[in-house]
Amino acid sequence: MASNHTTTEESNKRHRVEGPKKHVIAFIFSLVLTLIAFAAVIGGEINKDFIYIILIGTAVLQVFVQMAFWMHMKDRGHQYAIIGILGGVVVVITMVVMAEYWVWW
Amino acid sequence: MSAHSHVDGHLPHEPEKATLEGRNKILGFWLFLGGETVLFGTLFSVYLALRDQVLDGKPAHELFSLPLTALATLLLLTSSLTSVFAVHALHKLDNKALIKWLVVTVLLGIAFLILEIYEFYHYVHEGHGFTTSAFSSSFYTLVGFHGAHVAFGIVWISMIIRQLSKKGLTVVTAPKVYVAGMYWHFIDVVWVFIFTVVYLMGKVV
Amino acid sequence: MSHTHTVKRYSGLMDWLTTVDHKKIGILYLLAGGFFFLVGGLEALLIRVQLWKPLNDFVGADTYNELITMHGTTMIFLAAMPLLFALMNAVIPLQIGARDVAFPFLNSLGFWTFFFGGVLLNISWFTGGAPDAGWTSYVPLAGTTYSANHGVDYYVLGLQIAGIGTLIGGINFLATIINMRAPGMTFMRMPMFTWAIFITSALILFAFPALTVGLVALMFDRIFSANFFNPSGGGNMVLWEHIFWIFGHPEVYILILPAFGIISEVISTFSRKRLFGYSSMVFATMLIGFLGFMVWAHHMFTTGLGPIANALFSIATMLIAVPTGIKIFNWIFTMWGGSIKFTSANLFAVGFIPTFVMGGVTGVMLAAAPADFQYHDSYFVVAHFHYVIVGGLVFGIFAGLHYWWPKMFGRILNETLGKWTFWTFFIGFHMTFFVQHFLGLMGMPRRIWTYLDGLGFNEMNLISTIGAVLMGVGTILFLLNAISASFKPKNAGNDPWEDGRTLEWTIPSPAPEYNFKQTPLVRGYDAFWKEKMDGHKGMTPAEPIGPIHMPSPSILPFFMSIGLFIAGFGFMYARNWGHIGPLNTGYTVAVIGLLITLGCMALRSIKDDHGFHIEVHELDDKGGKA
Repeated sequence: MASNHTTTEESNKRHRVEGPKKHVIAFIFSLVLTLIAFAAVIGGEINKDFIYIILIGTAVLQVFVQMAFWMHMKDRGHQYAIIGILGGVVVVITMVVMAEYWVWW
Repeated sequence: MSAHSHVDGHLPHEPEKATLEGRNKILGFWLFLGGETVLFGTLFSVYLALRDQVLDGKPAHELFSLPLTALATLLLLTSSLTSVFAVHALHKLDNKALIKWLVVTVLLGIAFLILEIYEFYHYVHEGHGFTTSAFSSSFYTLVGFHGAHVAFGIVWISMIIRQLSKKGLTVVTAPKVYVAGMYWHFIDVVWVFIFTVVYLMGKVV
Repeated sequence: MSHTHTVKRYSGLMDWLTTVDHKKIGILYLLAGGFFFLVGGLEALLIRVQLWKPLNDFVGADTYNELITMHGTTMIFLAAMPLLFALMNAVIPLQIGARDVAFPFLNSLGFWTFFFGGVLLNISWFTGGAPDAGWTSYVPLAGTTYSANHGVDYYVLGLQIAGIGTLIGGINFLATIINMRAPGMTFMRMPMFTWAIFITSALILFAFPALTVGLVALMFDRIFSANFFNPSGGGNMVLWEHIFWIFGHPEVYILILPAFGIISEVISTFSRKRLFGYSSMVFATMLIGFLGFMVWAHHMFTTGLGPIANALFSIATMLIAVPTGIKIFNWIFTMWGGSIKFTSANLFAVGFIPTFVMGGVTGVMLAAAPADFQYHDSYFVVAHFHYVIVGGLVFGIFAGLHYWWPKMFGRILNETLGKWTFWTFFIGFHMTFFVQHFLGLMGMPRRIWTYLDGLGFNEMNLISTIGAVLMGVGTILFLLNAISASFKPKNAGNDPWEDGRTLEWTIPSPAPEYNFKQTPLVRGYDAFWKEKMDGHKGMTPAEPIGPIHMPSPSILPFFMSIGLFIAGFGFMYARNWGHIGPLNTGYTVAVIGLLITLGCMALRSIKDDHGFHIEVHELDDKGGKA
């Protein structure tokens, strides 16, 4: 471990802490997306493939919103977070594509 | 340095990132979440491959209840929001508010778990047990693993609440809060996929 | 401020059980990995003895199946990977100018979980049967119908526990390399070994969770009667193969990429020449790592995936040969025009090149799906993977051990013995495995415990067995070298090869406890060589001398691993150990084991580790208490 360094330069800066407003908006957005997804399923007369698209679409959007705003992935200093999650996602997409191909083949 | 030297008694802004250990913990935890993504991704892939193999158990669309799923989602989503408020309190260096929001998060998490345990109990009585079929085994493993993660998170955050009340907010306890918050968001993210892929898609006939 | 807590320092056995020092942990990995290498090597020799002549009855069929399973499992998970971890731990923090890894406590935990996982796996020999379904443990053979005894349970639980250790190590090195490089060391100034470990660690992070899920599913099928792989329950047997190989293919790249890194270091050092094409080496390694996740079904060409899937995986597999070829050419161009010294380390590195290429080209042959229908499950495959794993990875490990031994132990291994080691092992290796290509082409299937006379297999099997004995001799020579070196004085200098290019050669051998008295300032790639070429004796420090903060030792990782070990037994024997009152004995034991582990985790969370300081007057220039 490094020897005696005091805390980062930020302790000297007067940093305005942003309010939780953005986070509440993200929450409402997530709720709305959830509602859309549920509605698509309950709604009845929609084409099955279209429902799947809505479901996947809202899920991906919601995850994106949560990760960008609640987990700060849109903020600077998160390159490795993005690489880490993206790496996992690439592997998962490969697996899921193969799983679906395999089941429907 | 670190734990026993607060700079003039003031905590630095973003105390969780003020030390190398803190930054290492946060980075390490992001990497761990990358691995967890693959873990749950594999569980999802297995579920997707096996979900049609129902044998003589009840199929998904008869089994799942959308109101229950909606309630569970609401509970977990709200708990994720309250954990955001907790981290916000962390950045405002307000220990009391931080503890308050963490307590709310834990309570919501417990409510979610109770709901899920009731749900599983109900399914078993409907003839959908762990060993019933490939669908049931993969269902319980996927959703159960998620539930186990929620349970672990509840215990973990409870322990952090205790440490915050005894030791206060320091450059040592701050990274723990931040990392636990990351974990809690992640299991909410996984739940988004669970309610979509398992419950909602299961209801599409 | 620095003396507010007493410094707890252990000595002797307790020192080793509680250490969180990456250098000591590296030595622990070396000892444990070396031990398991001998176990796996013994299993190999027994296999070869059984096969030296047709219709031999040296061991029975059941024992033979246990031998091949344990040989593969032990060599890959308990020998090769730990030996790589030994080198990673010994070298990486030094190469990047850091004082330790990012998570010293987790580093220790990673070692002890591997160790107890390995012990659990090998206890099976003494408790009624080792796993015998192959290192790939395919279902339905590995299910309870055809493997009713506990052998496969040991496999599932032992590997699960050991796998946790590996995953922890992967995260640790990723965080270390990202966050703890010395000032001036940008990513494109990192040594090639560090790059290789960086990408390997990413592979570990993304591949091991798939194995975790697979082992959980198999465990649930076997112990809790789940239906993942049981067709009568709606399960699917090929699913196991998918999950296993989604992990398994990246796993073999996890094995070989560090070896590539070692070769780059050794060849450039002993050619006194900068590595040729550094950026393309980095890029090629990344590409190999990425593509490694896209090719797993080339292990499954004959399972009926269909021509489209087979074609795609075929092409993806062949693509990997391209970046690999780039690396081979870069090594050759590094040596070209260099001032080459054939030390033992360099012999292994140079011997690696043609041997690995041979393994690689048979890999491309196997990648052609239609051809693979003939090669599959024959000795041709066995020859291929031994060429790349032994001729690649093991040669690389030997090269790395010879190269970095002085940095780890303060003594140089004897060069004469080293050369004898190389030649016996090298010749023995080719004798053992070259003929196996032809055995495969002639139709000898793999995993058979004996064969009939008159098929044309006899002579080549005999040659193969003799070669194996020679490899054994080479291994023993290395052991003798290591042991006899331990009686010599610790008098290696900072830079015993005199041509060191990277930061580890700027500090004493063995490295002092705190690694660097002052974190160095890095001004370019091959940081030390750059300073040498500019006429400096050592590195410019990046900070003043000051007290150094060190992490505290801890016994918790040891106990956490024991907890998992106990839990493993509990789960396995739950169906055999009856009940105590209303409680199932096995599950009770399992819960106790898990509580031990969780309890230690809780303790770790509650008790803060303040570490301790090494004061300025305690810093000396000689090799410290390693």
